[in-house]
Amino acid sequence: MADIEIIDNGIIIATLRGELDNHEANRIRSHISSSIFTGQVRAVIWNLEGLGFMDSAGIGLILGRMRDLAPLEGETLILNPSSTMEKIFNFSGLGPNIRHCTIDMAIREIGGVLHEQ
Amino acid sequence: MNNEMTLSFVAIEENEALARMAMTCFITPLDPTIEEISEFKTIVSEAVTNAILHGYECDGTSIVTVHALIEGNKISMTVSDEGAGIFDVEQAMEPMFTTRPFMERSGMGFTIMESFADNLSVESVIGNGTVVKFEKTFSPVTEVSRMR
Repeated sequence: MADIEIIDNGIIIATLRGELDNHEANRIRSHISSSIFTGQVRAVIWNLEGLGFMDSAGIGLILGRMRDLAPLEGETLILNPSSTMEKIFNFSGLGPNIRHCTIDMAIREIGGVLHEQ
Repeated sequence: MNNEMTLSFVAIEENEALARMAMTCFITPLDPTIEEISEFKTIVSEAVTNAILHGYECDGTSIVTVHALIEGNKISMTVSDEGAGIFDVEQAMEPMFTTRPFMERSGMGFTIMESFADNLSVESVIGNGTVVKFEKTFSPVTEVSRMR
């Protein structure tokens, strides 16, 4: 399951719950991509605090959306993954995108980055 | 504790969750830690997804078979398909290698499986299928430490 919310300053907050495997990633991919392409989106925050399970399909999903965001020079942050998920992100080079903080703090971080541009 | 099981299902994506759930139930008596369960589920998910997606292209009729044997605090598992087979196993196991970049496969499946499992091996013959074997030893409260 995924709740996709676009907030005022062009940040998508994707809150994922339950189990993110290949089947689930296929279901939510187009939903998030269309949000990126229709809005003035400049960043995606993946809130994984309530996600119970994720395999490499989650890596594919997040890397794919980073590709969508690349022409917009968008930021990606991954919030509060479990320790197993964090290992998977580290194998895939996404370690630097991980934060253990609240959504508000992540929004503030991205806001700051965008201001400097 | 010793136990043994075999589970077979057709190649549809919905059965990825079935395999994870069944295998999680099967190892529960070993009292694994949350982290161990989570790593184990990830290995199962990667191997079964490979069989369904790459072995059979989700054809909905071909059969994936999962066999598991528990001996003490160790599980030995095989995930088998009789599908397409892997052209070059060594290449397939390289991080980020994928035959399907446009489907957003990350190419990290084997890297993740190798990192979370003990003694992972892959046997594959083009046109005959693939067998992934691995073991994982859990560090639960053992019978000996229970009695102390």
